[in-house]
Amino acid sequence: MTSVGSGYDLSVSTYSPDGKIFQVDYANKAVENSGTCIAIKTKDGVVVGVEKLIPSKMLCHGSNRRIHAVDLHIGVGISGFLADARQLVLRARAEAKSYKQIYGQPIPVKVLSQRVAALCHVYTLYGSVRAFGCSIIISGIDQEGPQLYQVEPSGSCIGYFGASMGKGKQAAKNELEKIKFNEMTTHEAIKEIAKIIYSVHDEVKDKDFQLELGWISTTETKGQFNMVPKDLQSDAESYAKNALEEANM
Amino acid sequence: MSFNQDYISHPVFGQVDYFNKKNHQQPNQHTPYYSVHNHHQTDAGKQKTLDPIVTGSSVIAIKYNGGIVMGTDMLCSYGSLARFNSVQRQKQVGTHTVIGVSGELSDFQSLSNTLDDLTTDDFCIDDGSKLSSQEIWNYIARLFYNSRNKGNPLWNTVVVAGNQNGKSFLGKVDLVGTCYQDDFIATGYGAHIALPLLRKEYDDNPNGLSQDQAVKLIQDCLRVLFYRDARSSKRIQVSVVDSNGVKISDPIELDTYNWHSGEAAVRTFQQVALGK
Amino acid sequence: MNVLKLTPFPTQDKEKPLNHGRFEPYVDNGGTVLSVAGKDYCVVAGDTRMSDGGYGIQTRKYTKIFQLTNKCVIATSGMQADTLALQKKLKVMLDHYQKENGKVMSTPAIAQFLSNTLYYKRFFPYYTFNLIAGIDEEGEGCIWTYDAVGSHEKVKYSSQGSGNQLVIPLLDNQVAKFNQLLPEGPKDVPLDQVVSFVKDAITSAGERDIYTGDYADIVVIDKHGVRWEKFELKLD
Repeated sequence: MTSVGSGYDLSVSTYSPDGKIFQVDYANKAVENSGTCIAIKTKDGVVVGVEKLIPSKMLCHGSNRRIHAVDLHIGVGISGFLADARQLVLRARAEAKSYKQIYGQPIPVKVLSQRVAALCHVYTLYGSVRAFGCSIIISGIDQEGPQLYQVEPSGSCIGYFGASMGKGKQAAKNELEKIKFNEMTTHEAIKEIAKIIYSVHDEVKDKDFQLELGWISTTETKGQFNMVPKDLQSDAESYAKNALEEANM
Repeated sequence: MSFNQDYISHPVFGQVDYFNKKNHQQPNQHTPYYSVHNHHQTDAGKQKTLDPIVTGSSVIAIKYNGGIVMGTDMLCSYGSLARFNSVQRQKQVGTHTVIGVSGELSDFQSLSNTLDDLTTDDFCIDDGSKLSSQEIWNYIARLFYNSRNKGNPLWNTVVVAGNQNGKSFLGKVDLVGTCYQDDFIATGYGAHIALPLLRKEYDDNPNGLSQDQAVKLIQDCLRVLFYRDARSSKRIQVSVVDSNGVKISDPIELDTYNWHSGEAAVRTFQQVALGK
Repeated sequence: MNVLKLTPFPTQDKEKPLNHGRFEPYVDNGGTVLSVAGKDYCVVAGDTRMSDGGYGIQTRKYTKIFQLTNKCVIATSGMQADTLALQKKLKVMLDHYQKENGKVMSTPAIAQFLSNTLYYKRFFPYYTFNLIAGIDEEGEGCIWTYDAVGSHEKVKYSSQGSGNQLVIPLLDNQVAKFNQLLPEGPKDVPLDQVVSFVKDAITSAGERDIYTGDYADIVVIDKHGVRWEKFELKLD
């Protein structure tokens, strides 16, 4: 980022002369400082993984979750400020509930993503507010099949086969681009995600991390968004560690 | 006897008064159904269930050793018209609770949505805590009591059957919020006709009933109800809830007297009851 | 000559539309409660039948007595749903009082508080008929008796509910010793004698009142706390 400051970064309601809204860029910076979150859409479902950085050894295992269910059929993964993201999660739950009340059927993933994105966008329009310091990956299954969307602080909402955000965004993206998404199963995707998260994690610079995995599949989870069961997760983690060791040899 | 023009010259059931006949002369004179009984114009927009329209009949349930069996028929009547013949009046809530509902069908559907929202909330929070049967029962009781306090009741009687930590739970709630737990429960005509049968079987088996006994008892009670309750049908569902969860049966057609002319006398009740 | 006149046939325009059983927010679930206070104790009895507002019995095991503190219970007949709401409200307020003041509310204070609570809802009353029974700060047995909107009176004995007309004369005679020309009048009676008498009283109510029966809770409140006992009544 060139001309940092110069008075153009004080409010989201002011563009800089070269057409940027600095506050939104800064919000993206907040996301880039956070643990990596990636997701893969396969033929039968979606898998989300988060590299959850552990700021203190005294934290209870499983606290500060970065993967949340929003409805039976939709879940989100988080990078960036957890507190900001939780507001989005609460809003997403409310939107899902209200859609079901009005239309009598589960909210399509695209509609949910766009509504959450609209909220993010509103927070880039007024001088009195601060943009959300988080990106979220929304994954779910609806009538159209498995869906994967990413919503960013700018309010953009984009569908992907594979998405990544946070610290290891670029490295993860390079790995994701090698995957043939339409030939993959969710079981394979779990291992792949574990491998990528472990490989982008910088053991020297970063704090310890815990891998969080969520998945939804038409066959494996009967269309419900669940956390990946313990046995599958530990299999995936040992697979990831082995792959990493082999690569280092 | 002549008809009172007031009550037939305008549409009922919330249909649009296309010709504005009613509102011209006497604003807000109520329609026979769906009416608010005080005649202030400001109340015109607010409608309450002051009268049930489409109704289900009895729900009956009994505890057996290890669980609960609950039975309902599948008829929903429009007054005395047998309007909907295949409506499920039982609903699973969470993993270990089932509710059976008598009374207004629309209020049951509304309650169903409310309960689904609650279980979805539990699912999303994902902290391992789920509503127990007793909590669901108590929630419905408070919901119904608060609605009746607003003069806007949910016109149902709800039987809640469930299993929490291996123990059976059976409770009932009605439209004014009356609620209690018991070992056997019946609503509507069931309270008059089926309850004595349930009580006798329960008292005759001091060591408790088996599941098969309980299922047969519930089916027999529904058959007796079909014979005498004009708002019941022989298309029924029987659910079993135990520590393994809830199983609601597919629709069952009860074996009854054959009503073809002359044949009713051929088969005795004993034959029907023994399934011969 | 007297002429027998025909009653005019009712005209159509006065006829009202059929009212299909308008919503009735109140139900009387019946039941009898009674209480007798002694010098340092209080005995309360309440049957456990819950009627459906008519001839039907909804359940045989609904207890009408609710423990508020270690020194105080409330016994309620009338509408069960309102009773439950009232009990829940009292419990919440009593817990609140304890946290605010660091002590449990005394029985006389609860008695006044119940009156306020009932009176507050006088335009849509709790359809409940209450007794507050317990021991006061001096350890003396005491009872308050209420109507549905909060009128109350401190008494030595009382009864409420569907069988109260049957019980009251018995209490007048045996506890207050009205009009008996005894030289000494009422005197202190030992606890076990009162418990036995209270059981007789509720049994008698169950004999004649169809809304009273099944079982009875007999509750004794004294310096040791609150003790419960189950007592069988007729199931008919």
